[in-house]
Amino acid sequence: MERFFSALQAILNGVLTGSLYALIGMGMALIFGVMRIVNFAHGAFMMVGMYVTYLLFQGAGLNPYFGFIGSAMFLFLLGYLFYRGLLKPIRGRSDFMQILLTLGFGLILTDGIQLLFGADYHQINLPLLGKNLRLGSQISLNAPWLISFGIALMLGALLYFFVMHTMLGRAARAIAQNRYAAPLMGINVDRVQALSFGIGVAAAGVAGGLLLPVFYLYPTVGDQFTLKAFVMVVLGGMGSIQGAAMAGLVLGVVENLTSLYWGNEWALAVDFVIFLSVLSLRPSGIFGSQRV
Amino acid sequence: MRRAQLLIAILFLILGLAAPLVVRSDYLFQVLFRVFLFAALGLAWNLVGGYAGQLSLGHAAYFGAGAYGLAVFSKAGIHPWLALLLGVLLAVLFAALIGGVSFRLRGPYFTLATIAFAEVLRVAAKNLAAVTGGDVGLQVPGLFVKSSGRSLYLAAVLLTAVALCITAWVSRSKFGYYLMAIREDEDTALSVGVNATRCKLRALLISAALTALGGGLYGSLFLFIVPDQVLSIDISSEMAIVAMLGGAGTFLGPLIGSVILESAAELLKNIFHEAHLLIYGLLIVLVVLFLPEGIAGTLAHRLRRKSAIAAPPFKAPGPVSS
Repeated sequence: MERFFSALQAILNGVLTGSLYALIGMGMALIFGVMRIVNFAHGAFMMVGMYVTYLLFQGAGLNPYFGFIGSAMFLFLLGYLFYRGLLKPIRGRSDFMQILLTLGFGLILTDGIQLLFGADYHQINLPLLGKNLRLGSQISLNAPWLISFGIALMLGALLYFFVMHTMLGRAARAIAQNRYAAPLMGINVDRVQALSFGIGVAAAGVAGGLLLPVFYLYPTVGDQFTLKAFVMVVLGGMGSIQGAAMAGLVLGVVENLTSLYWGNEWALAVDFVIFLSVLSLRPSGIFGSQRV
Repeated sequence: MRRAQLLIAILFLILGLAAPLVVRSDYLFQVLFRVFLFAALGLAWNLVGGYAGQLSLGHAAYFGAGAYGLAVFSKAGIHPWLALLLGVLLAVLFAALIGGVSFRLRGPYFTLATIAFAEVLRVAAKNLAAVTGGDVGLQVPGLFVKSSGRSLYLAAVLLTAVALCITAWVSRSKFGYYLMAIREDEDTALSVGVNATRCKLRALLISAALTALGGGLYGSLFLFIVPDQVLSIDISSEMAIVAMLGGAGTFLGPLIGSVILESAAELLKNIFHEAHLLIYGLLIVLVVLFLPEGIAGTLAHRLRRKSAIAAPPFKAPGPVSS
């Protein structure tokens, strides 16, 4: 019984962690899955979101659960400008150029933040942090994680709605299907892509803001999330927003179970082993039906 | 043109061999060691990433295998040089495994798969403390007993020479042409009977062996290795950037790239201290935006245009990406 409850606890914690992963993954699904931009700066963007939320908290006393909105707006603008200024000029070139460009930009962001704020670890203190929701005698859920879970769920649904049911989202998917036919249908490719890139990055910014209360903050905090975001997109099936969200939840649960049975340090390796198996055995992803 | 390139390479190697006669400072030796080491590594990466067009960002796996092979096997009582050889074998084994899985993938999927493999190895090396020492690290024996820094430097020059010879062979052999055909259009290459999988795998095995030798030299210079250093994605991306900066798929490119990048990195570290990564990132962004073919590639382009000024150069239509 003891074992059952500890496993159940790990699974529930995994779902809570996974909801934030899902947000990061959905942003990447829009950028990499739909728009085919290999964005190696995704984690760095998320890290910037954490710092924005942190500054809003320290400077203006704004609670991170509202501060993430500021982070989203800032990141949207940053992503929009990044696409317009740097990505657009190399759009027709090979994927590897995008990889190098985004890697380089990620370095600029990470080292820039380190120059501005130092390499120290920061953490914020909310009275909420110690609160838990107890379910029965064995299971307890941490309050800040629950709140971010709720927010992530809502924003994830919003992002899904945006991609699947708005004009802009349709246009983004149309460009993904055929980059040459889309402009003939009256789609302003550059505008749509810049906006979608901004929105994808803003999703990472939101996740950063929501992670702030429960995570240490340091300049390279985002690095691990870049690769995880790619794992989620491939796991969920290229171009599938809901697939990436599901993959985020799965990743959260798998990581927590790995931590429980093998130790936290193996979690990342398990992520990548799953990733490699999916890539080689089922390249369309677990939840996806096809490659767009 | 070809002969000029070969001459430049030979001149470069002679200068490298003659440097110990002039250079006295240990610091300068370390910088020169890095220049030649990364020239060799860039050349190794170039075989797969440049000539075959398979853009790996997981070469740290082979680099780490070389360094850890040397350390682990010699700890078990094997002679360092034999241990280094076993490390190279280990890297080749990894390459066969990694290539077998990831060469079925194309474009960014291939790149992501190579990263994932290297990361799995890094995490494994961090956690298998009984073998690798984990995060604490592992001592590496010196490969040379006498004047180790100087000898290791000369070994790096030698490794660059070997890598240059292999590159020279690849760039004008049938095997090399197969690789380039695969790079330009894999499906067409397949349709005319090129065994793409075998060619790519063979290139990767050679590349991995060279990279592992480089990893062994690196470990032997610092005498101590940790997973986050020799197996990190930074090593992989530095190898790729050296080759891309100089010109991927060119004979001299990685050489030029390494001279510029490594000396620039060293200067930046001394001038800007903490900001050097920022400048480094800026450098990458600028190269991608303004020198997409690398320095050697752009130069070759210019020269070709000058010599064929009457006839406008035929530009093959690029592959249409969906």
